[in-house]
Amino acid sequence: MQELDALKQRIVEALPGLDCVIGWEPGPSPLTAAPLFMRTPADVDRLVWGPFNAPNTAVYLPAFKGRKVGVVVKGCDSRSVVELIQEKLVRREELVVFAMPCRGVADASKVAGRVGDLGQVSAAARDGATLQVTTPEGMAAMPWDEACADKCLNCQYPNALVSDHFLGDPLAPAQGRDAAADEMGRFEAMAPAERMAWWAQAMDRCIRCYACRNACPMCVCRDHCIAQTRDPHWVSQEDGVREKLMFQAIHALHLAGRCTECGECQRACPVDIPILALRRKLNRVVKDVFDYQAGVDPQAVPPLFTFQVEEAKINERGW
Amino acid sequence: MPVLAGRELRIVGFLCNWCSYGGADTAGVGRFTQPTDLRIIRVPCSGRIDPLFVVKALLGGADGVLVSGCHPRDCHYASGNFYARRRLEVLKGMLPVLGFEPGRFEYTWVSASEGQRWQQVVTRFTEQIHALGPSPARDILAPRRGLASGKGGDSARA
Amino acid sequence: MDQAKFLPDASLAAWLAELSAARLVLAPRREGGAVVFKPYDPAVPLELTRDATVPPKGAVFPACEELMRYRRVKDPEKPGQPLLEVEESLPEGGVVVFGSRPCGARGFTVYDRVFDAGGLNDPYYAARRKATAFVTLACREAGSACFCHWVGSGPADPDGSDVLLTQVPGGYVVRAVTEKGAALVGSGLFSPADRREGEEAAAHAKARESLDDPRDLAPARQALLDAFDDMEFWSQLSAKCLSCGACTYLCPTCYCFNITDEAQGNEGARLRTWDNCMSFQFTLEASGHNPRPTKAHRLKNRVGHKFSYYPGLHGGAIACCGCGRCIRSCPVGVDIRQLVLAAVERAREKSHD
Repeated sequence: MQELDALKQRIVEALPGLDCVIGWEPGPSPLTAAPLFMRTPADVDRLVWGPFNAPNTAVYLPAFKGRKVGVVVKGCDSRSVVELIQEKLVRREELVVFAMPCRGVADASKVAGRVGDLGQVSAAARDGATLQVTTPEGMAAMPWDEACADKCLNCQYPNALVSDHFLGDPLAPAQGRDAAADEMGRFEAMAPAERMAWWAQAMDRCIRCYACRNACPMCVCRDHCIAQTRDPHWVSQEDGVREKLMFQAIHALHLAGRCTECGECQRACPVDIPILALRRKLNRVVKDVFDYQAGVDPQAVPPLFTFQVEEAKINERGW
Repeated sequence: MPVLAGRELRIVGFLCNWCSYGGADTAGVGRFTQPTDLRIIRVPCSGRIDPLFVVKALLGGADGVLVSGCHPRDCHYASGNFYARRRLEVLKGMLPVLGFEPGRFEYTWVSASEGQRWQQVVTRFTEQIHALGPSPARDILAPRRGLASGKGGDSARA
Repeated sequence: MDQAKFLPDASLAAWLAELSAARLVLAPRREGGAVVFKPYDPAVPLELTRDATVPPKGAVFPACEELMRYRRVKDPEKPGQPLLEVEESLPEGGVVVFGSRPCGARGFTVYDRVFDAGGLNDPYYAARRKATAFVTLACREAGSACFCHWVGSGPADPDGSDVLLTQVPGGYVVRAVTEKGAALVGSGLFSPADRREGEEAAAHAKARESLDDPRDLAPARQALLDAFDDMEFWSQLSAKCLSCGACTYLCPTCYCFNITDEAQGNEGARLRTWDNCMSFQFTLEASGHNPRPTKAHRLKNRVGHKFSYYPGLHGGAIACCGCGRCIRSCPVGVDIRQLVLAAVERAREKSHD
C-alpha cells in the first residue's frame, strides 16, 4: 500500500523531534489492532492502517501535554483531537497529526454475532464490500455493512478534520443508514418503565471495570474520577443496577456537549452493553437545543461552557 | 410519611437560597395551602445544581424532582442560572432514555417575593407527579434490601 | 474415583432439572455479545460452544458480598452511646456451576491457598467453596488467546473441578473427579461409558494438539524480580494500557478485594467487593501518597504478582490459569503473555551483558 509507505516515511522523518508517534500495530487477534507507540524507525515498520484500527489514538494525548507528540488518526479520532484542543486539554502546537482517509473499521461484536467465538478466528481481511473471516469451519464472508462499526455506516468525517500530514485522496462522506437513529427509534418505541427494565437487564451483567470510562478520550480526570470518591458518595460499592446505571449517568452527563461519538465506551465494554445509546441521546439533545456538534471546530466553545441570555431554542417553563 | 401514609409521594426540590427558597417561605408566611410531598434542599444558586443531583435522587427512588432558581437576569451571582438553564435543559432531554417519564423532572424560576407563584408551582408539579404515580425506579432498580432479618445477632457499644 | 459414565445429549436437560431441584445451578448463557453465568432457566438456551466472557468466579467470590449488617439503636439509658447491633451474613445453600471450562474452575485452586489453607481461613470463602460444585466441560479446541498449557494445565484438566464432561458424538462422557462430584452423577440418567472412553481420550488429544508449543515460564519468577526497578521497561510495556479493570475483574485467579461500610441513616451493611490493582485507588494511602502512582507500576504488579510473587509464596504455583480472558477482553490488546516473555527476554539479555 503506497500511501501507508509514504505515511511511514513521514513519521520516520518527524520522529527525531517527537516524544513518540501513536498509531496501530496488529493486535492479539486477527480482528484487532492495538495501539502502537513508535519511538524508532523499527517501530514504524510495525504500523498498520486498515479495517481493524478501531482503538481511538486520541485517548492517550492528554497524558503527553507539555511534550511534543505525534498521533495517527482516523476521521473520528480527529474529532476527539479537535475537542481536546477546544478544551485546552492538548495544545495544537505540541501535536503532529498524521492521517489517511478512513474506509471504516470492523465491529468485533458484530463479527462475533456472525462467526461465533472470535478466539477461533485465525485470519481476517477486508476485500472491498466484504469481510472475510477464517475459522476452523472454513472461510466465512460477511457484507462489510454488517461487519463495520455503526458509526462508519454514515460517517460524515472519513478524512481527518485536523492534520499536518494527510496521505491519500480524501473520501466522500458515507451514505449508509443512520444506525444511531434506528437505535433511538427502538428506544422511543418502548414505554418508560419498559425502557428502565431494559436498562436494568442490560446493566445487570456490568462488572464495573470502568473500561468504558478509561477508553473514552474525553474522560480526562483519569485517576481522579468522582465515581471512586467516598465523599461525596456518588456511587456505593453495592452491586445493584442502580449503582451501575448511576455510573453511566455520570459518564454520559460529563460528556454532554463534548462526546464525539467515537464509540470507544461501547467497544471497550467486555460484556457488550450498548451504553453508547445514552451518549447518542445526549448528543441529539445538544444538537437540537444548541445546534452544536462536538469536535468539529477547534475554535468553537462547547455549549455547556457558555450561555446566552436569550436562548433561542430553550422553551422556558411558564409555570 | 406518617400523616398521609400511602398517599404522599416523594418529591425532592432543589431551591436557590436567594429566590425560590425565600418564595417558599413567603408562601408559608402567607399561609397559602400547599401539598406536602415536596422535600426541600436549599442550595446557594441554581448554578450549584449538578444535574447528577437530580439523577441520583431519581435513581434512589424519588418520584419527582423540582429545581427552582432565580428568573433569568436576576441571578444573585449574575450568571449562575444561565449555566443552570443549559445543563438542566440537556438533562431534561436525557432522562427519558433511562426510563423516567418526561414530567418527573422540571425546572422553573420563582423569586423571593412570589409566594403565590410558588404555591402554584408546587401544586401543579405535585399534581403532575401524582398523575404519573410512583417512580418505576423503586421496583425496577431494586433499592437496598431491608436490613436486619431479626434472626438475632451481637450487639455492642459503639 | 468412579468409573466414567455416559450422558446422552437428550438427557442433559433432565440432569440439569435434577441438579436444580436441590441447589442453585449457574450455567452460561448469551447476553448481548457476552457469555455470562446466570441461574439456570430451562427456557433460556445454554451457550456451551465457547468459553464464557465472565468466568464463574462470582459463584465463590461474589463481585459484592455482604459480610454483616449493623444498626445503631438509641439507648435511653445512655443517650450519648448508641447500641450497635451486628448480624453476620454467612452464605447459605448449595451451588452447582455448570459448563465452565477447566481454566475457570481451576482458578479456585489459586484462591484456596490464600483464603482457606493452613492457619488462614476466611469463613465466607470457605463456606461458599464447600457448598459449590463445578461440573466442567473439557475444551474441544484452543482459542488464539489460550495458554493454559503454559501454566501447567490443559484443555481437559480436572484440577479444581468436581465433574469433568467431555463432548463425544451423541452426548457426554462424565467423570466424577471428587466425592462431591460423584454425588451429582448417581442418577439413572447415566450409563457406563464403555467404548466411549476411547472417544473421550481422542477428544482430549485433539484439543491438546490444537495448542501451540508451550513456553517455559519458570524463569519468569526471577526475571520479573530483576525487572522490578526498571521503570523504563515497564513504561514502554504499559504505554497502551488504559488502566481499566477489565483484565482483573474477568480473571479467574484475581482475588483482591475491598471492604467498605455502606450506611443509610442508622443502619448499613459491611460489603466485600472485588478490587482491582489497575486502579489508582488500589494502593492510594490516606496521606495522599501512592506507592504505585502510574499505570506502569500497576501493570508491573499485576504481572509480577501472578508470575513471581505468588509463586514465591506458594511453592512455585503460578497464579494464572491461562484462560486468556485478559487478552481477549482488553480494549487495547495488552497481551500478558508478551509481558512475561519480555521480562524473561530482558533477563536473558542482561545475563549475556
